[in-house]
Amino acid sequence: MIRGFYFSMTQYNILGTPKWIGFDNFVRIGKDPLFWNALGVTLEYVVLNIGFQTIIAIVLAVMMQRLTKSVVLRGALLLPWLVSNVIAAMVWFWLLDYQIGLVNQFLAWTGASKIAFFGDSFWAIPTIAFVNVWRHMGYTALLVFAGLQTIPKYVYEAASIDGSSEWSSFWRMTMPLLRPVLAMILVITVTGSFQVFDTVAVTTRGGPVNITRVLQYYIYQKGFAEGQFGYASAISVVLFLILAVMAALQLRLLRAGESDLA
Amino acid sequence: MTSFTRRQALVGLAGISIAATVAACSSSTPAASTSSASGEVTYWLWDSNQQPVYQKVADAFHAANPNITVKITQYSWDDYWTNVTNGFVAGTAPDVFTNHLSKYPEFVTQGQLMALDDALKADGVKTDIYQKGLADLWVGQDGKRYGLPKDFDTISIFYNKDLVKAAGVAEADLANLTWNPTDGGTYEKTIAHLTLDSNGKRGDEAGFDKSKVKVYGLGLDGGSGGGNGQTQWSMYTGTTSWTFTDKNPWGTHYNYDKPEFQNTMAWMRSLIEKGYMPTIESITGQSSADIFGASKYAMITNGSWMINQMFGYKGINTGLAPVPTGPNGKRSSMYNGLADSVWAGSKNQAAAVKWVEYLGSAAAQDIVGASGVVFPAIPSGTDAAGSAFGAKNIDVNSSFLVHIKNGTTFLFPITDHASQVTGIMQPAVDAVFTGKAKADSLTAANTQVNALFS
Amino acid sequence: MTTTPVRASATPQARKHHRPVSLGRIVAWVAMIAFLIVTLFPFYWMLRTALSTTRSLPSAPGSLLPVDFTWGAFERVLGLGSRAQAVAEGGSGASVNFWLYLRNSVVYAGSVTIGQVFFCAMAAYAFARLRWPGRNLVFGIFLGALLVPPIFTSLPNFILVKNLGLLNTLPGMILPTFLMTPFAIFFLRQFFLGISREIEESAALDGAGPWRTFFRIILPMSTAPVTTLAILTFIATWNDYFWPLLVGNTEQARVLTVALGVFRSQTPAGSPDWAGLMAATLIAAAPVLVLFFAFARKIIDSIGYSGVK
Repeated sequence: MIRGFYFSMTQYNILGTPKWIGFDNFVRIGKDPLFWNALGVTLEYVVLNIGFQTIIAIVLAVMMQRLTKSVVLRGALLLPWLVSNVIAAMVWFWLLDYQIGLVNQFLAWTGASKIAFFGDSFWAIPTIAFVNVWRHMGYTALLVFAGLQTIPKYVYEAASIDGSSEWSSFWRMTMPLLRPVLAMILVITVTGSFQVFDTVAVTTRGGPVNITRVLQYYIYQKGFAEGQFGYASAISVVLFLILAVMAALQLRLLRAGESDLA
Repeated sequence: MTSFTRRQALVGLAGISIAATVAACSSSTPAASTSSASGEVTYWLWDSNQQPVYQKVADAFHAANPNITVKITQYSWDDYWTNVTNGFVAGTAPDVFTNHLSKYPEFVTQGQLMALDDALKADGVKTDIYQKGLADLWVGQDGKRYGLPKDFDTISIFYNKDLVKAAGVAEADLANLTWNPTDGGTYEKTIAHLTLDSNGKRGDEAGFDKSKVKVYGLGLDGGSGGGNGQTQWSMYTGTTSWTFTDKNPWGTHYNYDKPEFQNTMAWMRSLIEKGYMPTIESITGQSSADIFGASKYAMITNGSWMINQMFGYKGINTGLAPVPTGPNGKRSSMYNGLADSVWAGSKNQAAAVKWVEYLGSAAAQDIVGASGVVFPAIPSGTDAAGSAFGAKNIDVNSSFLVHIKNGTTFLFPITDHASQVTGIMQPAVDAVFTGKAKADSLTAANTQVNALFS
Repeated sequence: MTTTPVRASATPQARKHHRPVSLGRIVAWVAMIAFLIVTLFPFYWMLRTALSTTRSLPSAPGSLLPVDFTWGAFERVLGLGSRAQAVAEGGSGASVNFWLYLRNSVVYAGSVTIGQVFFCAMAAYAFARLRWPGRNLVFGIFLGALLVPPIFTSLPNFILVKNLGLLNTLPGMILPTFLMTPFAIFFLRQFFLGISREIEESAALDGAGPWRTFFRIILPMSTAPVTTLAILTFIATWNDYFWPLLVGNTEQARVLTVALGVFRSQTPAGSPDWAGLMAATLIAAAPVLVLFFAFARKIIDSIGYSGVK
């Protein structure tokens, strides 16, 4: 880690020797439009990814608890997580292909117009977010489900005795009691989400025209493909700081939620 | 948990640093005389289709040099360069490997390639036996040679015979098209006529609906082509007086601000706007070859390395036509050559050089040519390949090899900072093709590119 | 007063009671089915592609059935079948020493799992139950390690393995993650925190020290979450791609996921051998699937224990 900080202050081309340049790299980051683009793109991705993933996970978990106890169903929801990120991305890259993908063929068959899921500037990031949500939603749902299990039954019984509707019980009681679990899940998933790479590397590679050039991919491009390892390290340091701030914020929520049940 | 493994992923490579300074040993001592060479040589390549052929070559080599064995390893293209760079840093790089023009300048700068001049001179190996220009590609800015040419590729038009016939276009006509950046010439007319929408209207008929295109007259391979457009537009710019750089190889000034280039980019965009060529957004997906195999393209320009794949799709009758002639009255094709290089840190340099010399000889290249997968760099090998393809009913002689015959090839641009140039030009040209920017925005990109060389 | 069983059950026992089929319930089932379709359809598509001939795939992109049905892809992956046949079908024709790679994957994933579970369990117990100065700070640092971008962790790991001369060997691959990973410690610590202290107190009264308490009492009580962690670790390590690619590139040390790279694109801008790739994915996922369904109930029930207090 320290070495990483060291490199962020150098000009370094992986196979040569580092040359110390102080904070120049960081100044350059401030002026680099592609960095800000990457930051914006990544933020959009994280919001969509975590937003949908968390909501879907909660919905799925609640449904698993109330609708069915079947292990098969729950296992089925976990299946996407068993496939590697790279394969999941490749499969969806085909399924959502504009010209020969099944989904667009279906859309055309129903008369709707086709969508360039990975190429269109509006759809590209949401699509990448979707692929990752697809892969992680079952797993996250199981974690939320576990959290739901820790809520004792008497709480629900008390609520129903008081005449509370399902919806209201859910919002007023289930959610607050879930807060600790949610906070832990959020810390882990947001961190992971900021570091999205595989999906982009296998599908759009940052394009077209930078609309999917997320931070981690930009770091890889600069450091590995373009041989500017010092600069790439500097961007990594910035990313690390962002993640640290986010985690600290989220952990605050965690502590706040500790005592709800006791 | 999975986030961890995913993360250990990517820049594990960029993470390779300190060890690098140790591993980047260059060979300052001249290679030991190859006559005493022995031992094992590791050799890497990426195309699994060529692996059996090269195994045959290795066997022949071993028969001629019983003291040396060659061990061939193949990695898919996606992983190949990662592994090579890892190998440099870790000290586990192969003795010999297939090298690519886009990567080799940086390897030279990093001191990872062994200069072959002394060894070649000592062994009396001639480097003028290859197709014109190929050998020069592999001489670095320092004047030293870093590879012996292996094979080359050119660009041609692949077309779908059934779609062309259905449009009432004669195949022979496809060989006589002309192009210019202003109105596209007979080339654009043919493309328009080959384009079909889902209502059955052709691109040059009234009522053509460009939002409902079923078959594109001309496909687009993978994207805008960035700064070199090898399979996308280099064959058009090559027929104007435009060159990529002030000199090639090792130019230091790019010419993306010139009108011939920008007008060609604008023409490409116009094809997209008219609906004859697919948009960048719609081709962000599966390979153009697969889309061709799904009968969505009547024609597409692509490279000779794709021949076997393009001819292998079920239900598609593929044909070949040379690229159109342009404003200078001739055709043109970018000419890219692969070579085999020796790693500077190889522990068995003598044997490695011997293997490279063999690979660069007619003996090896005739074997490779006869297998009908690529065009070897030595003319006899090229002819062997021409016949081998011909035996499969693939006419390369009047399409890909016509440039060799007529001397209408030009070299892939080789400069320093290649990947940074790509980093700038790819989004810039993408922006023109998607209509987000006009062709003159490329002047600003050109300034950025040339700033790298100051 | 009895609780009304008509409400949607928060308890398992209410399952058998009669519930009115409300609109909300129908909507919920429709949503569940939609999720299942989205989740499972790609797997069906993978199976269908694996049973097709690669060369013919583009000709029928909308087909839901295998295109030109053939077992060829599976043969390619398992290293059976001839090269000529593989190339004829559009496959990559490269040889795959399947059983060797399978063995390597098992060794790699298995060793890492055993090591991590063992050491992390002990560490987690230390964080959860034993009191020592700086405990929370060290735990905070571990948590912070979750945030570190990979560039900072792969670098020292790779150099360490190289300096130990363990590049391209299985031990070298296993080593860096063998001892612990923040997630595992976090996960188990949460569970250990939830164990009632009375048990430990009674053990202490009987004269048991921390070691014995841990091995004789806590561990046996925690088979469920430990098993869960083991399975999660196994799955993640099994699917690991880039680290084994980095460190294990020779035949002897290659794992299955890296070997799958053979089916990816052979040439720049070429297409992968789809049928082979899908077949390889399914086969690579099979051991994990088997493992999962064997322990499914245990995992799912036990994840309950890891819920954060």
